[in-house]
Amino acid sequence: MNQRTAVAQGVGALAPWQQYICHACGYIYNEADGDPDSGLAAGTRFADIPEDWACPLCGVTKGDFEIYEPPSLDTLRANAQGCGPVPSAAQRHQPGVVIVGAGRAGWQLAESLRATDAELPITLVTVCAGDVYDKPLLSVAMARQLTRETLVRETGPDAARRLNLRLLAHTHAISICADAKQLRTTRGTLRYDQLVLAHGAQAALPAPLPAALCWRINHLGAYLQLRTALGEVEKSGAKDVLIVGAGLIGSELANDLALGGHCITLLDVQAEPLARWQAEQAGQQVLQAWKDLPIRFMGGMKIAKVEKMGQRIRVSTECGQQFDADHVIAATGLQTPSRLAQSAGLAWKNGIAVDPLTLRTSRAAIHAMGDCITINGQASRFIEPISRQAKTIAAAITACAPVPYEARSAIVRLKTTSMPLTLH
Amino acid sequence: MHPADLPTSVTAAPVPTPDALLSCVRDIAQGPLAQLVDAIDRQGHYPQEVLKQLASVGAMSAHLESPAGSGDFFLAIQAMAEASRVCGATGFMMWCQAVCGLYLQQSGNPALMGAVLQAHVAGRGMGGTALSNPMKSYAAIESLLLKATKVDGGFVVNGTLPWVSNLAKNHYCGAIAAIDGAGGPSREVMFLLRCDAPGVELRECPSFSAMEGTGTYALHLKNHFIGAADIIAEPAKPTIARIRAAFVMLQCGMAVGITQGAIDSMWAVEPQLGHVNQYLEDRPEAVQAELDALVVRVQAMAQTPFDTSTKFFIDVLDARAHGAELCLRATQSALMHQGARGYLMSSDVQRRVREAHFVAIVTPAIKHLRKEIARLSAEEMPA
Repeated sequence: MNQRTAVAQGVGALAPWQQYICHACGYIYNEADGDPDSGLAAGTRFADIPEDWACPLCGVTKGDFEIYEPPSLDTLRANAQGCGPVPSAAQRHQPGVVIVGAGRAGWQLAESLRATDAELPITLVTVCAGDVYDKPLLSVAMARQLTRETLVRETGPDAARRLNLRLLAHTHAISICADAKQLRTTRGTLRYDQLVLAHGAQAALPAPLPAALCWRINHLGAYLQLRTALGEVEKSGAKDVLIVGAGLIGSELANDLALGGHCITLLDVQAEPLARWQAEQAGQQVLQAWKDLPIRFMGGMKIAKVEKMGQRIRVSTECGQQFDADHVIAATGLQTPSRLAQSAGLAWKNGIAVDPLTLRTSRAAIHAMGDCITINGQASRFIEPISRQAKTIAAAITACAPVPYEARSAIVRLKTTSMPLTLH
Repeated sequence: MHPADLPTSVTAAPVPTPDALLSCVRDIAQGPLAQLVDAIDRQGHYPQEVLKQLASVGAMSAHLESPAGSGDFFLAIQAMAEASRVCGATGFMMWCQAVCGLYLQQSGNPALMGAVLQAHVAGRGMGGTALSNPMKSYAAIESLLLKATKVDGGFVVNGTLPWVSNLAKNHYCGAIAAIDGAGGPSREVMFLLRCDAPGVELRECPSFSAMEGTGTYALHLKNHFIGAADIIAEPAKPTIARIRAAFVMLQCGMAVGITQGAIDSMWAVEPQLGHVNQYLEDRPEAVQAELDALVVRVQAMAQTPFDTSTKFFIDVLDARAHGAELCLRATQSALMHQGARGYLMSSDVQRRVREAHFVAIVTPAIKHLRKEIARLSAEEMPA
């Protein structure tokens, strides 16, 4: 070895280690590590590798390698931003609209969407079976002798087929990843382009009323369970039913179950039923209508305790009264579950706060409708607004001409078959 | 032994800052652990020395209360993630060690909270958790496999547990047995099960995918006596109710680390393969954004690890499920990103696919999580 070569090697040894990448397979030869399996010691310069050496992964030769400089992550990120997925791929995987809730609001929206767009993918997620029914009929079902078969207008699977949508029944929606546009459920995670929350409200149960002892009748499933538990008066006799709360739902249920032959005790903290419509003397009228029915109304009653006593349930009031009953029903108002809204960071004001004209939530791709929303802090849990809300949201989602929503005060028709009342 | 009798180096060990701890864990993970990861995966090597090093820097005890104050669950999860980013099996063993420490500390039993816990924290004692079966039992998925009979001064336990990890002859684990009793509500005892105790036998398991190096054995118990000194909780249910959210939450460290490792692998091939990889779903930026959002969620939960509300537990179960789903997608995508070279048995991306499968099926598996969330979300009605 002449002196010149030795100097060159000495200089070379001081130079930083280089990396070389295989064109064929991407294997990276790092001079620092060498390739011990092929007999190249750590520190072997690429230039010193014999020409018959082969890539340890794919077998190509040295000539297929070139020098490699790992780029910085920032550079990679900057480059990656320029190339989004190709449009055809996006269409193939179009997630479409996901609706949470298969009550009237959810189905109504599905109908409105399908009316304007035959192709739009729609997924409906619901905790219940998804059957289509009219909830107000639950308040008169006993007097009219309505059964499950007559209450259900269309089964969930039938409605899903007719509207060409995917129904995920018996599925809990758990959280929303708003940035990634995903709805997490107990049957997997759904992507969405547009999400509509129509999951309604659920019974608010004051602390002294344990869920395991008190029925809440806010959907068909619970109502049918109660009917099964009550049995038929002709076969198993009349039952003592205690209803806590004499608002609209409590009064309607009291009326219907009494017409069905059961003995009703109706309690409320207010002095008379339907106290919200006191100015219209609704309470006096309804008590008059009930005078020949087995309904005992007692006002000024605040529940202190509910406990199981053998086969019966004992309800104690703060004023020291005790009532024993076969069944207890709580009709103590509704509240909107906050889980989904919270997970998406949606604005909240006694419910999911939506824009009064568009029904959009505080997130662009999420609308809400029905019992779960509030407009200027006010919930309006009635049937009439729902179809108008569905038209507004469907127009926005299908990019039709906007249909602004108009919030109106509702007119309530009390379904006490013994004496119908219209309340404002 | 009273804590005051211990050498000060044990009781008054300086508490590193979170950054210092994570930096130590990163050095161990990317140094000695990275050297061993192939042997752990393919030869079933149990990385005892690395685990002891990780313990000694506080990586598996950051969540425990110490004289310096209450534990930092998020730090424990981050430490687990740093190791899992390199080796998911090691991340899993860190979780085993971490929850076992939690059992000891939450036991309220002076015999376990003194020298035993100190040795455990320092990594001189190593342990696992045999609570897969009991957790499924509490979620009404299966029944308890160990049976305890009350005897003078303690219990005699019989039964076999499949697949308990981070074990060796001189290790231990937290276990739960159903107490035989005439009628009444079911009652269980939770105890420290020492692998070298009389009546305890470790049995080899068949080979595992990705987890062969995790010291996983079947535990066979025959008339094994446990005395008061080894009781963690009796009855066990209140303790389980208190720690179950923390137990599940800590597992998020594995998912976070494996996902991050997968993202690293996607970026590694971007210069050569970006021109074709752009056509793939779950690109590194999108996965990173989803992971970051999940980590923010986990960080918030880690502030209240002992919240016993149903709402909180559902949040934790959902985050854990999200972690499992995300690491399945991320590791799958990383393999797609690397292409043929990712398909080699020596490739870390295909190992990570197997690690992600483990995160998805280890108790609570994705399906268990969903079933439990559904059960806890259902509206309760009169029977």
